[in-house]
Amino acid sequence: MILCPFCGFDELIEGADTCEQCEQALTDVFIRAPAKGIEASLLHDTVGALPAHPPVEVGGEVSLSMALKTMVERRIGCLLVVNEDRLVGIFSERDALIRLGVNAKDLHDQPLVKFMTPNPMVVSTHDKVAVAIHRMAVGGYRHLPVMDGERPVSLISIRDILRYLTEHSGTSAA
Amino acid sequence: MDFQLSLATESATSAYPEKPVAVLAGVAISEVVKLMRANRTGAIIVLDEAEKLIGVFTERDALRLMAEGADMSGPIESEMSKTPASITTTSTMAEAIRAMSDGGYRHLPMVSPSDPTQTVGMIDVRGILRYLVEHFPNTIYNLPPTPVGTTPEREGA
Repeated sequence: MILCPFCGFDELIEGADTCEQCEQALTDVFIRAPAKGIEASLLHDTVGALPAHPPVEVGGEVSLSMALKTMVERRIGCLLVVNEDRLVGIFSERDALIRLGVNAKDLHDQPLVKFMTPNPMVVSTHDKVAVAIHRMAVGGYRHLPVMDGERPVSLISIRDILRYLTEHSGTSAA
Repeated sequence: MDFQLSLATESATSAYPEKPVAVLAGVAISEVVKLMRANRTGAIIVLDEAEKLIGVFTERDALRLMAEGADMSGPIESEMSKTPASITTTSTMAEAIRAMSDGGYRHLPMVSPSDPTQTVGMIDVRGILRYLVEHFPNTIYNLPPTPVGTTPEREGA
């Protein structure tokens, strides 16, 4: 038996768009929230539950060569550009490829701020993992800074997401 | 379809493989970087004269060269990753994800199952994410990013 949440009418047919008695819209009532499995964990777990990678932060005034060397030495694909504790931009491998190209050597002394992507898309530690996936997929990003208020506290990459998905899908993915 | 089942049974060809961008082994690195920029691709495959796959050059390699301020006039052959990991058109999505996370790759050449030197496509980690998002829209898209904000003041006040 399905009850109408508005008037208590008890002869609802599953999937009906409106209640026969009170004619209230019922379209939301029959959407089932996933109860288990990966779909449920995506809606339950927050970004804060993913393994945290302390982001590597630099100031906007550092030189390009310094930034590139940091990325290679630390084996990271992306730097956060921070000014007075506020996130102002992001510099990724893709930015390096697209904005520098073959002339990289001549640009080594220039400040990083000229080549970064300003105002990057971010997620909050309280956002659900599904939100992070959504933002990555929509924007085509591989990295998202994780913010606690104004401060970046972590950086998640698309690989963390894939690992999360395979770990939570229960299959050994092999 | 169920998520678990889907990863284990869906072919990796559903992860939106792109047409591979290929160069010959003798091409200069600077030319390859230009080609990557023009195609906005993060990885390029390197072929020998017989058009067999012998290596991959990615934006990570490019970054390393840029950081070193290295001379980019040499042939791509000298800086590419040789004998790259690959998947075949018969691999499953789960196998592709596993190969990527084990090796730390974001791109995998997709080769013909009968001839592993014949590249038919290039899989990007974003393609896999796109597949997941498009096949599980209820989970990913039907979620408000933030709860509806409350206005601090009564309207008109």
